[in-house]
Amino acid sequence: MSATISDSHLSNHDGNGPLLELSGVRAAYGTIEVLHGVDLVVPQGSVVALLGPNGAGKSTILKVCSGLLQPTAGEVRVAGRVINGATADQLARLGLCTIPEGKGVFPNLTVRENLWMATMSGVSLSDVEEIAYARFPRLGERRKQLAGTMSGGEQQMLSMARALSVNPALLLLDELSMGLAPLIVANLYEIVAQVSEEGVSILVSEQFARTVLGIAHYAAIVLHGNVTRVGTPAELEDELSAAYLGS
Amino acid sequence: MQQFVQYTILGLVLGGVYFIAASGLVVTYTTSGIFNFSQGAIAMLAAFTYWQFRWGWGWPAPIALFVVLGVLAPALGAVLYQVVMKNLRGTSEVTKIVVSVGVMLGFLALATWIWNPTASSPRRFQKFFGANSIVEIFGVRITWHEIISFVLALGIAAGIRFLFVRTRSGVAMRAVVDDPELLELNGGRPERLATISWAGGAFLAALAGILITPITGSSMSANALTLLVIDAFAAAMFGRLKSLPRTFIGAIVLGLTNYYVVAYSPSSWTWTSAFRQSIPMIMLFIILIILPQDRLRGATVLRTRERFQMPTMRTAWIAALVLIVVVFSLQTIMQPSPMKTLAYGMTLAIIALSLVLLTGLAGEINLAALSFGAIGTIVVFHFGTTGTGLDSRMTLWGIILASLVCALVGAVVALPALRLRGLYLALATMAFGVFVSKMVLSEGNPRRLFGRDFTIFPGGTLRIPRPQVGPVDFNSDKAFLTLVTVLFALLAIGLVAIRHSGYGRRLAAMKDSPAACATLGMSVVRLKLSVFMLSAAVAGLGGVLMSAQLGAVSAERFDIFLSLSLLMVTVVGGIGYASGALMAGLFLGCSLIAMTNTLTKLNVDYASIQAIFAFMISAVTVLPATIGITMGKNPSGAVTDIVKGLNDMKQAKPLMFTVIGLEVGFWLLTATDVLTNWNFVILTAVNLFLVPPIGGAIMKKRAFAKFGILPPTPAEFIGIDRPYTQGDLDEMEIVLGLDALGVAAPVLHEGEPAHAPA
Repeated sequence: MSATISDSHLSNHDGNGPLLELSGVRAAYGTIEVLHGVDLVVPQGSVVALLGPNGAGKSTILKVCSGLLQPTAGEVRVAGRVINGATADQLARLGLCTIPEGKGVFPNLTVRENLWMATMSGVSLSDVEEIAYARFPRLGERRKQLAGTMSGGEQQMLSMARALSVNPALLLLDELSMGLAPLIVANLYEIVAQVSEEGVSILVSEQFARTVLGIAHYAAIVLHGNVTRVGTPAELEDELSAAYLGS
Repeated sequence: MQQFVQYTILGLVLGGVYFIAASGLVVTYTTSGIFNFSQGAIAMLAAFTYWQFRWGWGWPAPIALFVVLGVLAPALGAVLYQVVMKNLRGTSEVTKIVVSVGVMLGFLALATWIWNPTASSPRRFQKFFGANSIVEIFGVRITWHEIISFVLALGIAAGIRFLFVRTRSGVAMRAVVDDPELLELNGGRPERLATISWAGGAFLAALAGILITPITGSSMSANALTLLVIDAFAAAMFGRLKSLPRTFIGAIVLGLTNYYVVAYSPSSWTWTSAFRQSIPMIMLFIILIILPQDRLRGATVLRTRERFQMPTMRTAWIAALVLIVVVFSLQTIMQPSPMKTLAYGMTLAIIALSLVLLTGLAGEINLAALSFGAIGTIVVFHFGTTGTGLDSRMTLWGIILASLVCALVGAVVALPALRLRGLYLALATMAFGVFVSKMVLSEGNPRRLFGRDFTIFPGGTLRIPRPQVGPVDFNSDKAFLTLVTVLFALLAIGLVAIRHSGYGRRLAAMKDSPAACATLGMSVVRLKLSVFMLSAAVAGLGGVLMSAQLGAVSAERFDIFLSLSLLMVTVVGGIGYASGALMAGLFLGCSLIAMTNTLTKLNVDYASIQAIFAFMISAVTVLPATIGITMGKNPSGAVTDIVKGLNDMKQAKPLMFTVIGLEVGFWLLTATDVLTNWNFVILTAVNLFLVPPIGGAIMKKRAFAKFGILPPTPAEFIGIDRPYTQGDLDEMEIVLGLDALGVAAPVLHEGEPAHAPA
């Protein structure tokens, strides 16, 4: 069984090379290293799922990709260019969209003001509002409401609305399912699948593997700060429980 | 009726100016989460600068206004944020408060340095268009200056509201408070927004300063002007540092009350003027009482950069013994006057110890430690002395009574604010401090209370004798110094003991997470209250001893700015340690005085280079503030570094013995009058500050040579001391963000299997 995303896999999509590539990435919080040389590739237009138990380093990988955490060694490449040292706001303006763990909203801002913040990556507010309210009519009803007073699902909709409307080249999703009802999670991942069909490359971390394997092209198992296995969902299906429960 | 209209209008104008100052506070707090104590000092600095341009150098008003408000003030705010405040991310509330207090003290010292307060002609600050440009409205005469002030306040209220609601940058400023990281992920630049808001806050402060100075009509004084704008804190608190409309209402009420008190208080109230000055602080206190309770936030565990190691009981006993031995051997070779200075420093250290207990252990803040000292002093003066004249002595019961009263007063002060976050308690204590200074310590005349004549602070000076306990008399300088040193050592041991007890662990737990404590069934309020009372009692004790050391104290000895300095220096020393308190007391009580005295003496001796010494004397007054400002970089305090140095020295026994041996030698030489005191001081300084690093470097070199290890090369010597390695090149490549050089960067080899689990 092939363990990595090889060239043959890549050519199944379009052959423009990987959009996101991590090689030998190490990262640390203070003096404690949590990523010990991560290699990972997100091919153009594909959905890659990071799977693994609590504390494996999934969120840290996403933090490094989004520019919030600088790697201590190794390289992060987006579309072939090294982005080590670029700040999160620079990357966001270059077309990277990150939905952080928990609710990626500003609780003391209204729905409309939250969407307004999304326009910093260069889209107009009217476009953002149009897309958001068309996709989530609920948000349209509550445009004047403070985001913090909405339900968890509505807040997650709001943060997803940003992902939809800023038209990113690469979308990073961290624990979309956290604290949400299964039905809402299923809905959200449906939307992720649709976004992916429009050609957006997506890297998504998820603790509950089954919820995401349906839409992922590839999955990578993260354990103890290393990517231990990479493959298609079908290939990994059997090994998942071993990875979570310890082999 | 006409009087009512007149005072209403004046009140509205004053309220408007308060609002301008308060809105600046709100703007900076919303974007950076830092409550800017230096707001008042910025206003004061701006007023002085404007005076210099307008009347000192005779510039036309529009140009002077443009330079101060359009250029200097915003630049000051931006620089302040970039250089100082930016480093405060992830520090505790205490550090944030102390740093902005440090900035305030620094500006104050700077202002008295540049604009000599004892100048021969008082500085006159005139209203816009002069005091005689008057219009009549409703039969009341109002100056244009007042109209401009009020209109500006309204305009600023509208402008800020527009900014925060209608512009993307304004909304982004609010977003920064919620989640700066998320804003970055959206493509925003939190740092730039915060810089802009600090520039704006400084502009508003400067505007308030220039408007308010002529309204109050007195001649310019740095301290008074600073406190004037600090009055706006109450208004900002009424808006909970968030809501601008509520801030506006608070400011207007403040302004109106101020003038109505003048207009309608009975003429028999001799204390009206003092009362008027303390209205803002009384209001601040009332607002703190009526504010709804904070919710305990459990989700966010406070992660701060401050780290304090807990010393063991053994270490505490040894350190206490060392302290007593050192002070005892010093006093055998000391002259009376430095001994007095040392004792003064030691009493300050006891007061600082109360701050270590409160802030270091429990994470609460007291900005007016010396005001508790003042209360204690008053109690002792009235109820705790026996004998008259030179034979009068302080009694043990007096000291105990003073501490108890301070504890009770502390409970009254702290109770309303305990439900709220640390900042509010800090402000409550500050309100208390200003109240004590303005209303209690100014009570120099007798009053009839409950049918008895009573004077709280007779004649503005209290004579406080030294204590006598049973047969032991502490009247001599030597005995008193021994008393305060032993007392400090015992209290310090007690502090460490508390930290090791169950009570201390509960305090530490509360400091980290009040919510977790509440879920464990602890009463957070009771815990906070008890530690505040304990701390107030220690502060009172220290204050009483300080007064006894000085012999006669006036109100200035308990000034709020002194309390702030003491807190700042303690945090700089290390608020988590008793040794931090010792450093603070000695620095503030001894070093500063010693330095100033030395420089003054040199100044007289070498008159030809007088300018240099005069400059240095002024520089020394700014010194504590500059140290305080750098706190953001090293929030755990200087003691942390010193302890680390001591531990290193323990590893290097020869070095340790050298230093101790030299020191004992110096002492012997001084005791036998071979060395003079001054030489002893200089040699000690050299021994403590120069010998360890030099000796350490030599020992390190030897150790490397012994084991044949190459010492690590500093980055700038790579390629000179040793050739480049592949590792260096890789590192450089990552730093520069290059990947086209083709040098061995860690590249993922496609097709090669990734790490498989074993």
